[in-house]
Amino acid sequence: MHSLLEHYRPIDGVVDEMVDATGNPRPLWKPFIASLQALGPEKLAQRFARADQYLRDAGVYYRVYDKAGANERAWPLAHVPLLIDDNEWSEISAGLIQRADLFERIAADIYGPNRLVECGVLPPGLIAGSPEYLRPLAGTTPAGGYFLHFCAFELGRGPDGRWWVLGDRMQAPSGAGFALENRVATTRALSELYGELHVHRLAGFFRRFRDALNSSAAASRGRVAILTPGPLNETYYEHAYIARYLGIMLLEGEDLVVSKGRLMVRTVAGLVPISVLWRRLDAAFADPLELRTDSQIGTPGLVEVVRQGAVTTVNGLGSGLLETRALLAFLPRISQELCKEDLLLPSIATWWCGQEAERKHVLANLERTIVGPALSTRLAFEDDGASVLGASLSAEARADLAARIEAEGSAFVGQEAVTLSTTPVYVDGRLEPRPASLRVYLARTPAGWTVMPGGFARVGFSLDPTALAMQRGGQAADVWVVSDKPVERETLFPRDSEGFDRTVPGSLPSRAAENLMWLGRYIERAEDTARILRAYHVRLAETSDPAMPLLAELRAYLDPIGIDVTDPVPHGLLDMMDSAVYSAGQVRDRFSPDGWLALKDLSKTLHLFEKTVSRGDDATRAMTVILRKLAGFSGLLHENMYRFTGWRFLEIGRRLERGIQTARVLARLTRPDAPEGALDMMLEIGDSVMTHRRQYPVQAGRSTVVDLLVLDPLNPRSIFFQIERLKAEIGLLPGENGSGHLSPVAKDILKLNTALAVKEPSDMTAAALSTLADEIGGLYGSLAKAYFS
Amino acid sequence: MLYDIRLNLHYDYEAAVGGGRHLVRVLPANLGGGQRVVAASLSFSPAPGERADFQDFFGSNVTAIAFREVHRTLDVRMSARVSVTRPETGLDVSLGIAGLAREIATVRSLEPDSPHHFLAPTDFADLDPAITAYARESGDGSVAATAADICNRIRRDFTYDGTATDVQTRASDAFALKRGVCQDFSHVMISGLRGLGIPAGYVSGFLRTIPPAGQERLEGADAMHAWVRVWCGREAGWQEFDPTNGMRASNDHITVGYGRDYGDVAPIVGVLKTTGGQAGAQAVDVIPVA
Repeated sequence: MHSLLEHYRPIDGVVDEMVDATGNPRPLWKPFIASLQALGPEKLAQRFARADQYLRDAGVYYRVYDKAGANERAWPLAHVPLLIDDNEWSEISAGLIQRADLFERIAADIYGPNRLVECGVLPPGLIAGSPEYLRPLAGTTPAGGYFLHFCAFELGRGPDGRWWVLGDRMQAPSGAGFALENRVATTRALSELYGELHVHRLAGFFRRFRDALNSSAAASRGRVAILTPGPLNETYYEHAYIARYLGIMLLEGEDLVVSKGRLMVRTVAGLVPISVLWRRLDAAFADPLELRTDSQIGTPGLVEVVRQGAVTTVNGLGSGLLETRALLAFLPRISQELCKEDLLLPSIATWWCGQEAERKHVLANLERTIVGPALSTRLAFEDDGASVLGASLSAEARADLAARIEAEGSAFVGQEAVTLSTTPVYVDGRLEPRPASLRVYLARTPAGWTVMPGGFARVGFSLDPTALAMQRGGQAADVWVVSDKPVERETLFPRDSEGFDRTVPGSLPSRAAENLMWLGRYIERAEDTARILRAYHVRLAETSDPAMPLLAELRAYLDPIGIDVTDPVPHGLLDMMDSAVYSAGQVRDRFSPDGWLALKDLSKTLHLFEKTVSRGDDATRAMTVILRKLAGFSGLLHENMYRFTGWRFLEIGRRLERGIQTARVLARLTRPDAPEGALDMMLEIGDSVMTHRRQYPVQAGRSTVVDLLVLDPLNPRSIFFQIERLKAEIGLLPGENGSGHLSPVAKDILKLNTALAVKEPSDMTAAALSTLADEIGGLYGSLAKAYFS
Repeated sequence: MLYDIRLNLHYDYEAAVGGGRHLVRVLPANLGGGQRVVAASLSFSPAPGERADFQDFFGSNVTAIAFREVHRTLDVRMSARVSVTRPETGLDVSLGIAGLAREIATVRSLEPDSPHHFLAPTDFADLDPAITAYARESGDGSVAATAADICNRIRRDFTYDGTATDVQTRASDAFALKRGVCQDFSHVMISGLRGLGIPAGYVSGFLRTIPPAGQERLEGADAMHAWVRVWCGREAGWQEFDPTNGMRASNDHITVGYGRDYGDVAPIVGVLKTTGGQAGAQAVDVIPVA
């Protein structure tokens, strides 16, 4: 067996994390390499496949925007973690804590007295010209006193072996949730190693931050919520994941409304105050009244609530300004001015070309400098080509750039071209070095900053450092902070010695309720349609005569509702399934990964069938498969979903739809002049053939079919059963008990219930059934008015 | 001059509007010596459920209103009595353009009047090489002389046309058309000045409706008006020009507020929860009292 390190050669002049300059493994890595070696290539391949399987099963994705539009892409895990000694980690932590404190003071100064500008340390143009400088926030102090609560830093190790800060993420840093998933996936693959090495756990960091958010919210009698731009955002998966992991409400801008000076969430139980908003959208989009007026995802009036100190935003609106690249050039002086301290961790060398000496330096060293927009808030290696390395330009283009820097220097910033350290990745049975940067997270707690002991490393696919960005095909590795002593095994749960409060599940946002109800409706509609299609194709296979009256009858029923049976898998059915996936995607934080995967699988299968299945027998089998998968999905929801308000809306949606569909088909197939075989087919569509045979010792007649499918209180397919379920669930909705008076929805359902309870099969004429379908449909309107508006 | 100003903004919604939140900037500004507000009132119909008054970053009076009830129309009514006494334009003490950048750099301030706020391109006053080239033709004399020349040329070269543009039109689009209204001409002038490195901002306000006897009626008097302010150096300070009428702002110009462009001082902004369209109308009267 060859050695894993056989071909591992560090690059000249570049530090490697795993081996020293002579190629010998560093002490920290020795046990790790030995264990990998002991597993052998076959086992390792299996293990790494297990990690990938975990990520696929969990549905971890991020969104990539390219020419083909927005696509979900599997999370690119680099399987070998980056190991860092915890003594070195302590130094990094101390440096980052100092830095976070410094940025807090800078924010307070820029949005406050502006002493840094006044004393000439900070050029005013860098602030006034930046789109991230939010004038409506000038002169305000954030609620609780702090702008910054959750920060991320991008670090790289230079050729001198020191860690440098490449960039500061202060607006709405992403990736903390991915760091967690990286950890879970990596430990799936390397569980023994993880157990043997003393690796610091991540859960404590999240627990402390969650507790800080919750206690801050409780102090101002409100709730915590995470605000996402929505499912189309590149890191929406992570928003939903963090929300689920920490048990925090996930909201979109339209869920929020400002009322009487407070930020409120629209829930099915009315308006509920939010006092801590962990925003994952850029501040400029947060309020279309005072910030970007073209924002479709903001909350009108939010800025005023922030100004009044009635909500804490994480991070404060306007803190994106701190990401300005040119600001890095001034940090050492600012640190002296504000804190009388030198920076413990240096930033990457940065020169703002608005100053003469700095401009000259950049022009003289253009080849070795990355030049970019001074006010850019993105990292130089992930700004889509807005920044260029002098050496990469032709002589002509370089002269052109030099002329522009000369003419409008204040628009440019130069940064030293970084050489990042390399870390091992596993490629084709051996380890190879790849450049890496490190993202580290800090969170504010009442006891000060807490540092996530880990984070994630972005690792290039090639030796080109610009390939680090996820959008351009970088990969992500877990970061193990390793101690020589056993570490505390922290979890998200309170320790046994701590008490716990049993909290009532949070109020359900109206938008989530609406999506859940529609999910229920679409799933049910798809099921009912698949049953009808199966009944159609089974007969088509028997007779091969599409002109048969019963088949014509079904076509006449399906055509007006957009189902064209000449397609074995009609577009109408695909639309229902796509709509179900869409509705579920809007509330992904409320789904278990299993439920989501089952739904995606259903949709995938149906789309596959569309391409492969033919009419008759084939379509019959296909519909049977779909119905079985639908039953599986329903079972998951039924058995695993916590029976609170969310489940209730989903259930109401299903029952509503089943009632409507059953009444409509019945109205058609139980007409006195319906074709021969219609009643048998009705029983089949109503999934009640067996029951009918057992209950009625006669052939199917109109009254027995109506009795069983409309009025039978014990048949889960009957309309009466749906009405009873609806009555029970609606009675448990918020606002439905206690006051003594019935709500309009409760009255509607009670009327339907009572009317149907006293009916005889002979009363249920085709016209009566049509009316009944409309009345059940009308319930949706009253529910929407009461809970979704 | 002492004026009585009346403004009526009227909006019809195609479909009934449920709720809504707006910011309204129509009240004249109290600017100390040059412009004094004697009395002012602002009312809405239907009456909003919430109302708050504050001043924004640039000092404009803002009224935030919110409706909870469903409504089909919105009326904004403002009336004010304002006295305007602008100082006479004396000797041109403004800087030459060449020395301006150095002078700007000596202003270590982010106060609302600081020139630094008015240099970068903005949504409506976008930077356009064609506009910069147009502005450059106005010579390289003093800042004030350059601004006055651009102001006159816009008056001469552009056609006043209320149908050519709308409230969302950018400077570059209006420049290509050589048509528009006061808002467009102001944005073009601002863009041109900034292209030359001269700090320039947007002024929203009113214009006297009926001219003094024997003088022509000014363009833009039947609606809210807009013009341009230019930073001419520490000594000369901010000076105001009206490119729609090719003149310096006079005692006939009553200021509501300042901004970097229209977006900072739009008379009304707000998210209207409606699926239908909306149509607006405004009526303005500016009558001299004495």
